[in-house]
Amino acid sequence: MILIVDDKQENLFSLKSLLQLNAYEVDTAASGEEALRKILRNEYALIILDVQMPEMDGYEVAEAVTGLNKTKDIPIIFLSAVNVDKRFITKGYNSGGADYITKPFDPDLLLLKVKNFCRLYEQTRELKAIQEVLKNEIEARKYAQTEVESMNLDLEEKVKIRTKELVLLNQDLENTNTELAQYASLASHDLQEPLRKILTFSKIIGQQHLAELPEAQRHMDKIIASTERMRDLINDLLNYSKLSGESYFSSTDLNVVLENTLSDLEISIDEKSAVLTVGKLPVIEAIPGQIRQLFQNLISNALKFSEMDVVPTIDIWSEYILEKDLHATAVVEGPYVRIHVKDNGIGFDEVYANKIFTIFQRLHGRREYEGTGIGLAIVKKIVEKHDGIVGVRSAEGAGADFIIVLPIQQTSSIKSNLHERI
Amino acid sequence: MTKAITFLLVDDDEDDSMLFEEVLQECDPEIHFMAASNGKEALDMLTSEGIDLPDLIFLDLNMPRMDGKECLSKMKQHAALAQIPVIIYTTSFHLKDIEETRKLGAIGFITKPSDIQDLQMILGIIVEHFPQNLKLALRALSQIPTHL
Repeated sequence: MILIVDDKQENLFSLKSLLQLNAYEVDTAASGEEALRKILRNEYALIILDVQMPEMDGYEVAEAVTGLNKTKDIPIIFLSAVNVDKRFITKGYNSGGADYITKPFDPDLLLLKVKNFCRLYEQTRELKAIQEVLKNEIEARKYAQTEVESMNLDLEEKVKIRTKELVLLNQDLENTNTELAQYASLASHDLQEPLRKILTFSKIIGQQHLAELPEAQRHMDKIIASTERMRDLINDLLNYSKLSGESYFSSTDLNVVLENTLSDLEISIDEKSAVLTVGKLPVIEAIPGQIRQLFQNLISNALKFSEMDVVPTIDIWSEYILEKDLHATAVVEGPYVRIHVKDNGIGFDEVYANKIFTIFQRLHGRREYEGTGIGLAIVKKIVEKHDGIVGVRSAEGAGADFIIVLPIQQTSSIKSNLHERI
Repeated sequence: MTKAITFLLVDDDEDDSMLFEEVLQECDPEIHFMAASNGKEALDMLTSEGIDLPDLIFLDLNMPRMDGKECLSKMKQHAALAQIPVIIYTTSFHLKDIEETRKLGAIGFITKPSDIQDLQMILGIIVEHFPQNLKLALRALSQIPTHL
């Protein structure tokens, strides 16, 4: 819509007709005030403004229009018959006019100018619409971002609280574990004291007072044997429970640990004339004392369950693997080490593979082989403490291959986090 | 007349004390046996007027009132008592106890055997080599594994 402002009705009429003939929508105002009122209320693509008007002239209208945000982009064409000097035209442009036409004017040229200005106006409007859309888009995204950020902060808080809870819970569990280990330790010490007495005096009775009574002596021997067995069970339980207590991991050279273990078992190894083949083992993060116990239990088992009349051989070797899997393919370097302790002893039916790792479970009677049946249960507990897995391959008469998988590094689990935070 | 050799046993366990005395009698009836049932009683006894100080002290660790380590420590600070050799005689077999008592001045550490024949052997060897070769005897004994 185009607004024509002129105080002379005949001018308004003629210009209006001209424009309407060319399919433009036209509105008129007969004074500056009326023009401003209308401009504020309606949307105009173009204002054709007469300069010479009583009360408020064209320049003042133009200044007002260009001063307002809402209307400053509306193009203004000044139309004047009288003020045609350069200074008037200059003033027109300075007040915000986009064009200054002097009368008489060529209607064709005027129409072309109108067409141009209308087109420009349209383009500006389109641009503004796009700008508005973009602005909203940005607003919406900014809002979404703040929402996400606040949700993130929320989540972080929740995670912090949860972690704190878990850390405390874990600490609690570790404390309970240590307490239990302590109770077990104290209980077994207290139990061992009277046991010792029973043994001592039973032996005295047997040796000194039943010399003439072989049957009574036999019975006494049974009492002594059972008491010694009880003592061994309590000792073993004590050792087993100690494994649950708090313990600290450190860089451990498995070769050194194995060497020390073999040195301790030297006498038994010589007795059986066993042949040991030892491969290179890696350095891993472990509890040295427990690994020592692990090797000790496996190797003394291998020696104990050897075939009669056959030279016992024990092969110990290791390889790296990529996953915590007993049968994963060996690689040059990996996060896990798989250790084998293989013997050529009496072996056992693989059907019992799980049973033998259970506490106090044995496959042989006490007469055949001594022991309480806790050795492998201890091995399993130690392996689990190190976040590893243990298994065995065996067949009756074909020896046994004990397989242990351990991580090289103890990953940052809650347990090591615990030591960091607290 | 030469003074009889005297062994002192500081142990709160009556049975162990009785057994010790019996075995000691068997090994050498000439040896005089003294007993105290805890660290404080031992110190009181040893610091009393006109006491004949023992030539060798066997000291238990776990005792009420005053335990073995405290008693040992106090004895070594006492001019007259510091000279007497002390052998720890206890149920414990912990490395920690062995080291600590050695640092405090004990010359030997014996874990109480459950078999009386073992005790006979141990005391027999000690009595045989007392006093000149006591240290050698103790070193030999430490090689023999003892059971609880």
